Amino acid sequence: MRMYRVLVPLLVLSLAVALGLSGCAPTEEALPIIKIGLNVELTGDIPKVGESCKRAAEMWLEDIEAAGGLEVGGKKYEVELVIEDNESKPESAAAAATKLITQDEVLAIVGPNASKVAIPAGEVCNNLECPMISPWSTNPRTTKDRPWVFRACFLDDFQGPVVARFVTEEFGFTKAAVLYDVASDYPKGLAEFFKQAWEEIHGPGSVVAFESFVTKDRDFSAQLTKIIASGAEFLFLPQYYDEVPLILKQAQELGFDKPVVGSDSWGSAELVKLAGPLCHGCFFSTHYAAAGAKGATKEFIDRYKEKYGEVPDDVAALTWDSVRIVEAAIKAVGEITGDLATDRKAVRDAMAAIKDFQGITGRMTFTEEGDPIKAAVIVRINEAGEFEFYKFVSPE
Amino acid sequence: MTTATQKQPPASDRHRNSTIRAVLSPWREVPFLGWLLGALAAVMLEHSVGSSLALTLGLRRIPVLFGFELMLKAPQHIPGMLVYLVLVYMLPAALVAVATRGLTNALAARLLQSPALSLAVHLVLLYGCMHFWCALSDYRYLVAQLALIAVMLTLSLNVINGYMGEFSCSHPGFMALGAYAASVLTVLLFVEDDVFGPPLLPPTLGPFLFPLALVAGGLVASLGALAVAIPSFRARGDYLGVITLAFTFVVKSLFENLEIVGGPRGFMNQPNWAGLPTVFVWAVVCVAVINNFVRSTFGKALNAVRDGETAAEAMTINTRRTKTVAFLSAAFWAGVAGGLFAHVVGYINPATFGAQKLAEVLAMVYFGGLNSVIGSIAGGLGLTLFSEMLRPLEVWKWVIIPMLLVLVMTRRPTGLIAFREFDALKLLGPRGRWEGGVQDGTAGG
Repeated sequence: MRMYRVLVPLLVLSLAVALGLSGCAPTEEALPIIKIGLNVELTGDIPKVGESCKRAAEMWLEDIEAAGGLEVGGKKYEVELVIEDNESKPESAAAAATKLITQDEVLAIVGPNASKVAIPAGEVCNNLECPMISPWSTNPRTTKDRPWVFRACFLDDFQGPVVARFVTEEFGFTKAAVLYDVASDYPKGLAEFFKQAWEEIHGPGSVVAFESFVTKDRDFSAQLTKIIASGAEFLFLPQYYDEVPLILKQAQELGFDKPVVGSDSWGSAELVKLAGPLCHGCFFSTHYAAAGAKGATKEFIDRYKEKYGEVPDDVAALTWDSVRIVEAAIKAVGEITGDLATDRKAVRDAMAAIKDFQGITGRMTFTEEGDPIKAAVIVRINEAGEFEFYKFVSPE
Repeated sequence: MTTATQKQPPASDRHRNSTIRAVLSPWREVPFLGWLLGALAAVMLEHSVGSSLALTLGLRRIPVLFGFELMLKAPQHIPGMLVYLVLVYMLPAALVAVATRGLTNALAARLLQSPALSLAVHLVLLYGCMHFWCALSDYRYLVAQLALIAVMLTLSLNVINGYMGEFSCSHPGFMALGAYAASVLTVLLFVEDDVFGPPLLPPTLGPFLFPLALVAGGLVASLGALAVAIPSFRARGDYLGVITLAFTFVVKSLFENLEIVGGPRGFMNQPNWAGLPTVFVWAVVCVAVINNFVRSTFGKALNAVRDGETAAEAMTINTRRTKTVAFLSAAFWAGVAGGLFAHVVGYINPATFGAQKLAEVLAMVYFGGLNSVIGSIAGGLGLTLFSEMLRPLEVWKWVIIPMLLVLVMTRRPTGLIAFREFDALKLLGPRGRWEGGVQDGTAGG
């Protein structure tokens, strides 16, 4: 029975350690900790998005900690941020969401940002009944038929008409041209929504050129020549900041001198660095404008800049609003019972009932689908290369 | 137990440290059945007392993936976690395995008289372990599903990259074909969808016809594999590698431009039918079929083609047929795995089946071991679990996993468990002093 000579001491030792540990384990707090999950893209193809999201959320947590916790119904609760990396992969986003809900027992989840990860994560949150708010996902399917899923940004089917209305009112143009990437979900969707809205205002055929290319194309001269020949009065370019400079440059070389209007994907400091004076004077629609911001928005921008050394992008601003919506919902509940299912349901209901939430990216009220009704911002790139607030365009 | 040591072959004399051997020797006599029983006992113990024990140890809840992520996030819990692992997993499993070894050996020997029954009993026990382990957490459940799918993918890629010795990069493409085909079928037939309209068949039939949809997905992937198999008649090595890579991008691009399945926005609404039992059954069937395939004459023909195509031809092997069969069957299983994947996650988009997926599957194949079924199982399970466990490390995860791969490649250039034949019946037989009796038994029967 030699093996027992080893096993018995091992057993005794482990029991002793166990008892010792349980003795010195921290005593349970009287109040439960409120946990907020963060399901973000820290690795994978868009790590910058995850980083901005994480930074904004951590800044929010600092505020809560400085206030000594989150006050709900007269009691101060400790708040914990549980951050999970979803690697920008759908299956990992689903796994991260499952883990946050079942393992970390979070009360609500903020993120993911990109639609390709927000859709599967939303499915998990909806099935497991945990409120989730995506700061940045614009695909309608993220929240569609999912009562537990919300978002903080407007959708492409809102942004398209916004641009169409803005151009009509501002310039009085009637003939539009569109150039977009057919293989990328965001530009394609937006281009189609814009076309639809423009033709509703100006009648069929008023989009005189609707030209496409494929991701990573670098020569746009064929499409641009067609656009110039079509007699369009301006070009709508719902492309990412890395492609816009190339297109602007080639358009200029081909002699296109009409205005170019963009979408929220333009909103990166990189755009101005790459395009230089070419983009000065252009307009684009977005969630918020950093230059010329006032009030709470300015306060947020200044703090973020001081803490991380860069101007917050729209993901950071939208994350800030998302965590504050969660905060507002928890406060509105008025009571944390400690029973997760009850609390989650209460938070979801409170979130759905939020009216006129004053966020830094605009005033929001949720529709039945969990999408916010909010105004878009039109930004003008000024001669100093700054994104300058131009005007609000409210939903009808 | 000392009697057991005395019966050990004289080889043990060569080892200086006979105490360790003596301690280990009872465990050497535990058959696979015994280990399964031990594992089942451990997970059932966790099921009943796991959470109260975790609370006693100062852990907030049951450590989900063997406590790895909690150790990384909260190092102060490491002792408690180790105690938990020893008390819940190691001790019960080891003690049950040893205590029942007389019984399990006898049972294993008896069962082996009917190999099918033996296999069935082992599989039921194995599933039982997984069932109880996963019942405690939805997260474990999802990880287990993804890990089993990874095993199927790894194994099917190993047929081409390991057994046939070609470097194929087309697996994400096969997977995409299977995933989209199976998803379109289930959504079209059984789900109310914006694009495809009302279901064509009553949704209650769905779960029963789901296997057919998966098979259809696999067949579509096989059909696509012809595009790679035919060029492989003439191209080899790097050139075939480039063709297979191109195939992956063609498929990705195809789905990006197919508006009916959502284009780049992806395709969703897949019904949730790929539960753990379904995935488990498919993974078992996949392992069984591929294992039989590679151990058959055909499998040996694959090796012959790898080691010398001209020589194989001279030995009357029809190399074209061999290659076609290898590509088509590998693609079939990749397609089935893709279909399961789509129904587990409930959403697919073309970008999922790109270069990153390729890198993952290749890493699993080369990590686990070329030309080895057991290696593929280890690679698929190992890397999936490992990558889940290391998730809290964020970016550092992508430093540690590649370093691990480099380490494995320098120590074992063909992977952890390479070039090993997987003989299920040998694995399931009794051990130690019981082994001889069985051989007699089988000789008699």
